[in-house]
Amino acid sequence: MNLAAILVFAAAACLYGALLPARFRGWALFAGSVIAVYVLQPALPIRYSAYALPTAMLLLIVASWWLTRDSNAHAGATTSQPLNDDVVGAQHAAPLQSPNDERYSPSPRLREGSGVRGIPRDDLVTLMALVALMVGVSFLRFIDVDFRLVASTPPEPLAVVLALLVIGAAGVGLRLALRRVSQRRALTGMILLIAAAFVVFKAEPLATALSRALRFQTGQDTTLASIADLGWVGFSYVAFRLIHTLRDRQTGILPALSLREYVTYVIFFPSFTAGPIDRAERFVEDYRALPGLRGLDAERFAGGAARILIGLFKKFVIADTLALGLALNVINAGQVESPLGMWLLLYGYALRLYFDFGGYTDIAIGIGILYGVTLPENFSRPYLRTTITSFWQSWHITLSSWARFYVFSPLSRALLTRKPKPSALVIVLLAQVTTMVVIGLWHGVALNFLLWGLWHGVGLFVHKQWSDRTRKWYRGLNDQPARKRLWVGFSWFVTFHYVVLGWVWFALPDVSQSLRVFGVLFGGG
Amino acid sequence: MTGRAIFRIVVKAAALFAALNLLFVLLNPLEALGRLSLYNAVLPGRWRLPYGENSAESYNLSLHNIPAMFASHVVAQPKPDDEYRLLLIGDSGTWGWLMENDQTLAAQINAAGDTVDGRRLVAYNLAYPIMALSKDLLLLDEAMSYQPDLILWLVTLESFPRQQQVFPPLVQNNAERMRRLAERYDLNLDPNDPRFVTPSLLERTIVGQRRALADWLRLQVYGFSWAFTGIDQAIPDDYTLRASDFEEDLSWDSFDEPAPFTADDLAFDVLAAGMARAGGVPVIVVNEPIFISRGRNSDLRYNAFYPRWAYDAYRELLDAQARANGWHYLDLWDAIPPDEFTDTPVHLTPEGVLMLSEHLVSAIEQN
Amino acid sequence: MDEKEVREKLRSYITRELIRDESYRLTDDEGIVTGGLMDSFSLAEFAVYVESEFGVYIPDSDLTVARMNTLDQMVARVMQDMK
Repeated sequence: MNLAAILVFAAAACLYGALLPARFRGWALFAGSVIAVYVLQPALPIRYSAYALPTAMLLLIVASWWLTRDSNAHAGATTSQPLNDDVVGAQHAAPLQSPNDERYSPSPRLREGSGVRGIPRDDLVTLMALVALMVGVSFLRFIDVDFRLVASTPPEPLAVVLALLVIGAAGVGLRLALRRVSQRRALTGMILLIAAAFVVFKAEPLATALSRALRFQTGQDTTLASIADLGWVGFSYVAFRLIHTLRDRQTGILPALSLREYVTYVIFFPSFTAGPIDRAERFVEDYRALPGLRGLDAERFAGGAARILIGLFKKFVIADTLALGLALNVINAGQVESPLGMWLLLYGYALRLYFDFGGYTDIAIGIGILYGVTLPENFSRPYLRTTITSFWQSWHITLSSWARFYVFSPLSRALLTRKPKPSALVIVLLAQVTTMVVIGLWHGVALNFLLWGLWHGVGLFVHKQWSDRTRKWYRGLNDQPARKRLWVGFSWFVTFHYVVLGWVWFALPDVSQSLRVFGVLFGGG
Repeated sequence: MTGRAIFRIVVKAAALFAALNLLFVLLNPLEALGRLSLYNAVLPGRWRLPYGENSAESYNLSLHNIPAMFASHVVAQPKPDDEYRLLLIGDSGTWGWLMENDQTLAAQINAAGDTVDGRRLVAYNLAYPIMALSKDLLLLDEAMSYQPDLILWLVTLESFPRQQQVFPPLVQNNAERMRRLAERYDLNLDPNDPRFVTPSLLERTIVGQRRALADWLRLQVYGFSWAFTGIDQAIPDDYTLRASDFEEDLSWDSFDEPAPFTADDLAFDVLAAGMARAGGVPVIVVNEPIFISRGRNSDLRYNAFYPRWAYDAYRELLDAQARANGWHYLDLWDAIPPDEFTDTPVHLTPEGVLMLSEHLVSAIEQN
Repeated sequence: MDEKEVREKLRSYITRELIRDESYRLTDDEGIVTGGLMDSFSLAEFAVYVESEFGVYIPDSDLTVARMNTLDQMVARVMQDMK
């Protein structure tokens, strides 16, 4: 989101609050978010890819929604069922599932009248609206480039319609071909497909190969192929939100969602490009309450505006100033020779990263508030934390929670119930390192992010071993305030520097350059 | 909070904002702000005036706030008693285009370690990469408050055309300073030249001057990278060598062909104004070395800048002006061999600069 | 199994296995994680124990400090799904 987009979103919020009939608010957020997926996508060199990627994303979301639908819902049930008694997928049922799951009841959903073949009419209308928007965006090709809204020329509308027809037919065909596959397996398949797409788009060699293939198709220069050709804006966040819904459907805790709710949740425009990663059940609570929202609620607008202003200041004043030359980057990492200078650049980088990302989050949350959706917090004074564990409960909270829910907890549980049970040390090490590596690779499938993930996984592991052994002693410090303060100060110092040194891996793609930076930091040259 | 309370807050905030902007218009504090600098305090001063386009790589930028530019320069440090302060005024060649700071003319003069009257000769690089005497005068005017003992003013014909005098953005954006100088020294310079930037009332507010404010801030911030790396210019690995072969072309500036050329065609008044502005401080005017080609059509042209006829006429005129006005004048136009020129007819290699510095140091000793 | 029994089973499990200090007198409403008695990672172990002991599956998304910080919260969560 640039300044112009933020201004447009904020201005539109006033119209939304003042003029729009309350019952259309959900529709407005849906349509606005779909359009934003196209508008926020920057220009890409491969012809039509800046149109094709957002479209593919929307189709992927529709497919995921289809898979997470509760096929029993139209028969009258209002809660989703856990998927452990499927005919074909029985052996894949979660070993930890108990039949009591269904009592973990998601919010019930009213289904007003069935449409075609069990698809509620409301969802069909949404689907048609979505297709109309996709085709509608392609008409922007006839608009002068200055007013086009999207960065690259979209393809011919006729071609879009044909392509959508073919894809739709293929979808139906696939559905028929796979009708004997259990929903549970289909969900797993979808999760794997999204994970695979993630790896292809985020791993340099694979992305370059794909770009080369696409360039060959479009007759463009294949020697220029690079990962930059596939800058699929928002995909990292969308992928993780989709996996959350698919996995939660498998464990039976996903509430029943209409297509409109589902799509809007996944691509809600304030959090589309840079998070936070909301949870579907939390989002729909707000979404369903939209018609009851006071249109021009001064408090809501003041709260949202204040949050946006704070975010703008963090991002465009503090972070962008630091980025001018006070923060470590690929260029100055190779130029600075003095340890003092390198330390300053590294501290600067740590602050820049926090204010940049934190500022964006404030803006996203502020815009969300204007529209009546309270997105979850993503940061909670991370650099003031005194343990690496609490750092990870306060830095990019929604990502680390996601990783805890979908990597750490399932993996720990699986290891804890394994026979024979591995040693506690092995379980904790494996679970923590895997979790942090996933968080690392989410930023990009590359060696430096892998090392950054390992750095934090090992840090968390060591901290757990330490705190397990010192917990009693540490509680004893409560009676000695002076010593406790000293100890807390020391813990903060160690934690902060562990995090800051970890940023060296994060900031520099080239590992040998990171090693050079460590050398300079510690005086080795 | 009620809507009324919020309305009051918005009105108050708007009023405060308007008042601050008005105050800013009235006080016009940009130049005063410019004198505030992290340089020479927490950061080392720069060795040449800030100039640069690719800030992310050069840790440098071009701005129009002359006090801020000087405040970021080592020349702003207090002058020790044992220092003989030499200021260099000139164009990109003297500023050190394609050159590290320790290779520039100022650095090589300092490396000679000379003394004058028992004081250490210390040269300061106050050149600025654009060719116009007006720009030189503007900087010389400011430089006079930094206690010079001697000024070397390196000039070349490209700095002289009348039209060129309001061309540099630094001049256009310092219209008031330039107009004051034009009036004081009766320069042949139209104070209403449309190229001068005259901000409207709105453009003089905080909002209107946000770019200038941001530039000041960026100058301070880039200082950290400059301090850590010593880099203030993104020097490319490769450059295109100055041309040695030319078309059969005799044009120069507004002259399509050789024509009688008088002192009125060139901005000698601006040069004279600089000499007057220096007052009691001695100035040596140096006609800087140019590349003299021996390629195709080099009987017509010395180089890509100058046809022989125009440059020869300029040298005669400058020589005559210097004699008539009693200026110290040093003509070094052919002092450097052609191999020591880099991308333009006036940019020297470090070896070329060393030769030039030797000429200049001996001239200073004789002065 | 009534609530009282669940509460005492959990209390003894937590002090024995997670706090690892059986002499510790854990009260019903003190913050176990926020008070530094155990870390949030122990919540996975807790969930496995609850499942094997009471047959109650606590979804991963409920294993957060906010939802499982006190004995009261844990008991309530287990009782919610006890048949």
